[in-house]
Amino acid sequence: MTGRRTSPSLASAEDPIVFVVDDDSSVRESLSSLFRSVGLRVEAFGSAHEFLQCKLPNVPSCLILDIRLPRLSGLDFQAELAKADIQIPVIFMTGHGDIPMTVRAMKAGAVDFLTKPFRDQDMLDAVTAAIERDRNSRDEAKVLSNLHELFATLTPRERQVMALVTTGLMNKQIAAEIGLAEITVKIHRGHIMRKMGAKSLPDLVRMAELLEIGPPSGQPQT
Amino acid sequence: MMREPTIKSWRSAEQWLLGSMALALGVVAGIWLLLGPTPMAAPHFAALALLIAALAASLILMGRVGRTRRQMEAMLQGRMSAEARATETLRNSEAQWKEVFEHNPVMYFMVDATGTVLSVNTFGAAQLGYSVSELLGKSVLRVFPAEEQRAAQSNVAVCLENIGQPHNWEICKVRKDGSALWVRENAKAVRRLDGRLIVLIACEDITERKQAENALRQSEMYLAEAQRLSRTGSFGWRIASGEVIWSEETFRMFGYDKAPSIKHATIFQRVHPDDRARVEQTIDRASRDGKDFAHGYRLLMPDGSVKHVHATARAVMGASGEVEFVGAVTDVTARKRAEMELHEAQATLAHVTRVTALGELAASIAHEVNQPLAAVVTNAAACRRWLDRKPPDLKEARGTLESIIKDGNRAGEVIQRVRALVNKAPDQKAVLNINDVINEVISLVQHELLNHRISLRLELSPALPLAVADRVQLQQVILNLVVNGIEAMQPVMDRPRELVIRTCQDDLGQIMVTVKDCGVGLAAENADRLFDAFFTTKSGGMGMGLSICRSIVGAHGGRLSASGNSGPGATFHFTLPLDQEGTP
Repeated sequence: MTGRRTSPSLASAEDPIVFVVDDDSSVRESLSSLFRSVGLRVEAFGSAHEFLQCKLPNVPSCLILDIRLPRLSGLDFQAELAKADIQIPVIFMTGHGDIPMTVRAMKAGAVDFLTKPFRDQDMLDAVTAAIERDRNSRDEAKVLSNLHELFATLTPRERQVMALVTTGLMNKQIAAEIGLAEITVKIHRGHIMRKMGAKSLPDLVRMAELLEIGPPSGQPQT
Repeated sequence: MMREPTIKSWRSAEQWLLGSMALALGVVAGIWLLLGPTPMAAPHFAALALLIAALAASLILMGRVGRTRRQMEAMLQGRMSAEARATETLRNSEAQWKEVFEHNPVMYFMVDATGTVLSVNTFGAAQLGYSVSELLGKSVLRVFPAEEQRAAQSNVAVCLENIGQPHNWEICKVRKDGSALWVRENAKAVRRLDGRLIVLIACEDITERKQAENALRQSEMYLAEAQRLSRTGSFGWRIASGEVIWSEETFRMFGYDKAPSIKHATIFQRVHPDDRARVEQTIDRASRDGKDFAHGYRLLMPDGSVKHVHATARAVMGASGEVEFVGAVTDVTARKRAEMELHEAQATLAHVTRVTALGELAASIAHEVNQPLAAVVTNAAACRRWLDRKPPDLKEARGTLESIIKDGNRAGEVIQRVRALVNKAPDQKAVLNINDVINEVISLVQHELLNHRISLRLELSPALPLAVADRVQLQQVILNLVVNGIEAMQPVMDRPRELVIRTCQDDLGQIMVTVKDCGVGLAAENADRLFDAFFTTKSGGMGMGLSICRSIVGAHGGRLSASGNSGPGATFHFTLPLDQEGTP
């Protein structure tokens, strides 16, 4: 059983993609048709192996997985993905879902668990939600990497100051803490706000949280 | 000898007469001579001549007399010795007759009207263990056993009523030592010179014949009983005369009254109408070829019941040099019924195990139905969405409809296959391709294989001849072997689980199906019992699967066997004979 590609390429388009992995070609094709009918791009595979062979594009996507697959079961495949650090929302399908299976799938981070035959709307809702979730996490990841880039422009001293500022210390306290003049702390602070693009102190605090800049060590983090 | 002396004596009397006349003439002549006729005269010479002639006649006569006397003496003597000889002969004859009477191997009795023995021969007495004197003057009844005495008395009475008429009968006597003696008695009553009525009886020992007869009767009785018990009748058939002779049991079997002989037309009347043409054909051929034959057919009895019989006949050369058949016909109704019941029981059992096996595969089968069903539902939803588009995408919609039809049919096929296996259908042998049967079964166990992470390798020979078989039964066999293989590989963790199904033709050209696993294999001690009913190595198994598989394959004229692999696992193979033309 080989996967049949139902859209011409995985190319650069920004549209979200739905990946389908099911060993049954009828099911694969019917899902392809359904997703295409609502304008979604679809990529279908007959096995987990084939899916892993392809290079995933950097667009919002989700994976629809049959829980019973030849050789590697859907649940094991989910674990494999996690191990390979492939972050993709997974929607499980099963012929006869049972509770332990569902629990295991959901605990492992499945977005949804649909029993065949499913209502088309349920499937589309699940896919929409999964893509939204992927889009969000992709956005978050983007924000974070931006922050990391900005953070990288700070001098070690500025990073040190930022860590202390975001813990809620006043300039005077910071000056005392690191042995600088209060005015110098103030200047650092101004540089930090500008370099990080923070509009306010709470904004900077949120950035620090995202960057996981911890105050206890007092050491600048990279 | 008697006439000769008479003739001689008659002749001598004549001679005597002539002699006497000559003598008388001589005497006359002498006297006349003495009276003195003239010598030398003619009368003198005549007288002289007469005298001489008389003398000569006297001499002759004397000689004749002497001879006659000797003859007479000799005759007398001869008559006396003949009388003595006759007396001797008579004495001898009497002794002989006495000998005959006493020792002829026939028992002679002479009894009077009251049954008292007047005379008995030595042989007769000895045969009964008595001496003659022990029986004389005694009632003859003492030589009869109590149960025969009345008959003996009435036999004597019958003789006495018809004097001079011979009578005969067979009766049992009793010896002095108590042993039985069968005799045939010829008897007749006669009136003696003194007016007394007596009965003369001659008895012949027929004990041996009687024993032979009894033995024959016994043997015939045993045979008849054996025929009845074994429900086997015998028959003889002379081709030339068309005469058929039946034993009692054959008559009973066919429900006809006993008759000396019977015609084939009568026999055919009893044969079931559906079998009649075939039976007539067999009989015709047998009468033409004169060769041994055997055939089975049904009888339709007057009460509407049906009997199954099987007849076997051997051609033998009769005494007249003509071929005749000697045969046996057996009522096999009970056996047929038992066979049918057994067959039915087997079918029921096969059905039960089939349904059980399907039950074990329920999840797999549900999946097989659910997959196309899910595809149908999804395609239908997609179709609606394609149609709802503005403008509707008819090409895509049509594509989904095609898929719906295909998947709907696929689900239907799965259900049909399951239904066929669940149905308790009677045997339906048809020409089929074994590879198709295998593929149908595989479609039901596909997910069972996936579930157990078993890879299936099909090596189906494309150029196989067709087989005549019952599709459902063969599916059951293959299903059973595949499920067994799957179960055998369940504990396997250290090697790939692979199941191989292969079809090919063996050396004899028969179709051979092989199912090979790499599971736990066969334990040597179980190999012999593998196909026994209720033998199982599985905790939840009933032990019927392989047993039924073997009987199914056997019923198809093939053979199911198992062997261990050189590597891990076991291999099961079964053969199917080819579809030969004319095979029903």
